[in-house]
Amino acid sequence: MRRKKLNTIIRGFVLATYFLCGVPAWAQTPSQPTTSTQAGPAPAMNAPLAVKEANPPSAEEMAKGDASGSLTGTVNDVTVSNPKVGLTLADTLNQVGQNKVAINFVWTLITGFLVMFMQAGFAAVETGLCRAKNANHTIMMNFMVYGIGLFAYWVCGFALQMGGAAGASSLGGAAPLSGEFALHIAGKTWGLWGTHGFFLTQGGTYDVAVMVLFLFEMVFMDTAATIVTGGCAERWKFAAFAVSSVFLAAITYPLFANWAWGGGWLSQLGANYGLGAGYADFAGSGVVHAVGGLSALAVALIVGPRIGKYNRDGSSNAIPGHDITMVLIGCFILAFGWFGFNPGSTLGASGSLRIATIAVDTMLAGATGSFGAVFYMWIRYGKPDASMGGNGLLAGLVAITAPSGYVNTIGAAIIGLIAGVLVCLSVEFIDRIAHIDDPVGAISVHGACGLWGVLSVGLFADGTGVGAVKGLFYGDAGQLVAQMIGVVTLLGVVFTLSFVFNLFVDYFIGQRVSPQSELEGLDIPEMGALGYPEFVLKIQGAGAA
Amino acid sequence: MKFVGLLLAVCGWLLPVAGLTWTSSLAARFILALIGIALCLTGILGFLNRAYVKEAIWKK
Repeated sequence: MRRKKLNTIIRGFVLATYFLCGVPAWAQTPSQPTTSTQAGPAPAMNAPLAVKEANPPSAEEMAKGDASGSLTGTVNDVTVSNPKVGLTLADTLNQVGQNKVAINFVWTLITGFLVMFMQAGFAAVETGLCRAKNANHTIMMNFMVYGIGLFAYWVCGFALQMGGAAGASSLGGAAPLSGEFALHIAGKTWGLWGTHGFFLTQGGTYDVAVMVLFLFEMVFMDTAATIVTGGCAERWKFAAFAVSSVFLAAITYPLFANWAWGGGWLSQLGANYGLGAGYADFAGSGVVHAVGGLSALAVALIVGPRIGKYNRDGSSNAIPGHDITMVLIGCFILAFGWFGFNPGSTLGASGSLRIATIAVDTMLAGATGSFGAVFYMWIRYGKPDASMGGNGLLAGLVAITAPSGYVNTIGAAIIGLIAGVLVCLSVEFIDRIAHIDDPVGAISVHGACGLWGVLSVGLFADGTGVGAVKGLFYGDAGQLVAQMIGVVTLLGVVFTLSFVFNLFVDYFIGQRVSPQSELEGLDIPEMGALGYPEFVLKIQGAGAA
Repeated sequence: MKFVGLLLAVCGWLLPVAGLTWTSSLAARFILALIGIALCLTGILGFLNRAYVKEAIWKK
């Protein structure tokens, strides 16, 4: 009763705001599928089928070539298990099942390849936003985080994350991923980490479905790891970066990802405590982006601001990047890769036709995010700032990552627009009030907008998408509470874990380069070679070119 | 100050999570989650960050 009352009060308040802003609520009504049933005797599974009735092309016809494409891919191509019997119904059904899983394998792998290519986008954005004297160092961090993260994730990260996540039915089940370490508290099961899949062999995980899942999940983890390099660029010691990235890939990221995606306690908040469908993060605004953004915040606090970023009175100096064209090209690469990130998170195309909505939601939120940021900057500073335009696009994409599987296009457009404005406000807050130096805006784009994306699921999910997740505007306040618990977990656990580990790194290795190296530029002291050896770099005081 | 900041962040998380077992009221859980988020942000930005800003390189 109380719950209903609270639902009504919160819904009334937020819906009033929603309508006052002139935005009509719109919910898609799912069409009722038509089904037909035919009674009759079940056909014998192993009796030979009358293949000739399917009119398969003859060998002579095939020998002439198939210019129209109508002869290729017929009953002749169905695998026959027993040539003596010929094609049976059992063969046909097995082929149908394998085709379904094969389509999903190919879909998941290709979208995973797209996500992998996002590393190039991150490299371009971060390097372009840094000064030329640090170009080699910045791009090498982006380059090496791929291999470092992959290795750590293969050793133990994947097992901790997905070791107990069996149930990827679209990929054939991934049955070996069946070990989850869990606590039993007050009669409820709290899954904490997976126990199968170390080195992709332990626990029977030498399995094709597990390999597909590994590739897809690994590139997501690497996205989180590469976010940190941007927030701490231009003063982070390369050795410290390497050790810090191992920890993120092996422990911090997998732990939270298990709780959200691997069958852990956050995903069970619905079943255990009646909070909507449990914490819902479709493609990772929280799991990937907020984890990366909050880890960037933790390291940025420890390494401190760059020399010349702040004056003695606390006012900040803008330190522009060296190549805005590279930044915006990088943003486009990222936007392209996001079509792997979000639609790919269905882990299949066969039976998951929601991919169309997810792709459109992704496009829309990215576009409205860049509108929001550009118009905000234009109104506030008189010019449409290019780098914030790029960050606005990324902010919209980050924010729609969690809700993309659950919201309609109007919801997506609003989420992106809010993210576009939020990223500008957050950059100003981080830079001028908190005095945290974030050269590329990673904390704002991925941290702040990642958290907004998580919350937006609890507001805008319309109940028609994956898992029928329904937010506050569509009648379920419990979902919003589940999302808030996800946010508080990111802030309280992920940030703290990341901060404490990086304190150890600081103690044993040292996180920050020497002031001399920083002023000279990190390319020679840290990497041994300049990013642009044939350019003469102009020295402009502390903020050298 | 740094330790207090971290402690607040962890307490901010523990509060709504423990609240899941204390109460089944959605209103109470909503409020606990709000307080938890506020505590975490206060710990991170109010205490931890302030401690680092105090000894920042640009103040020397």
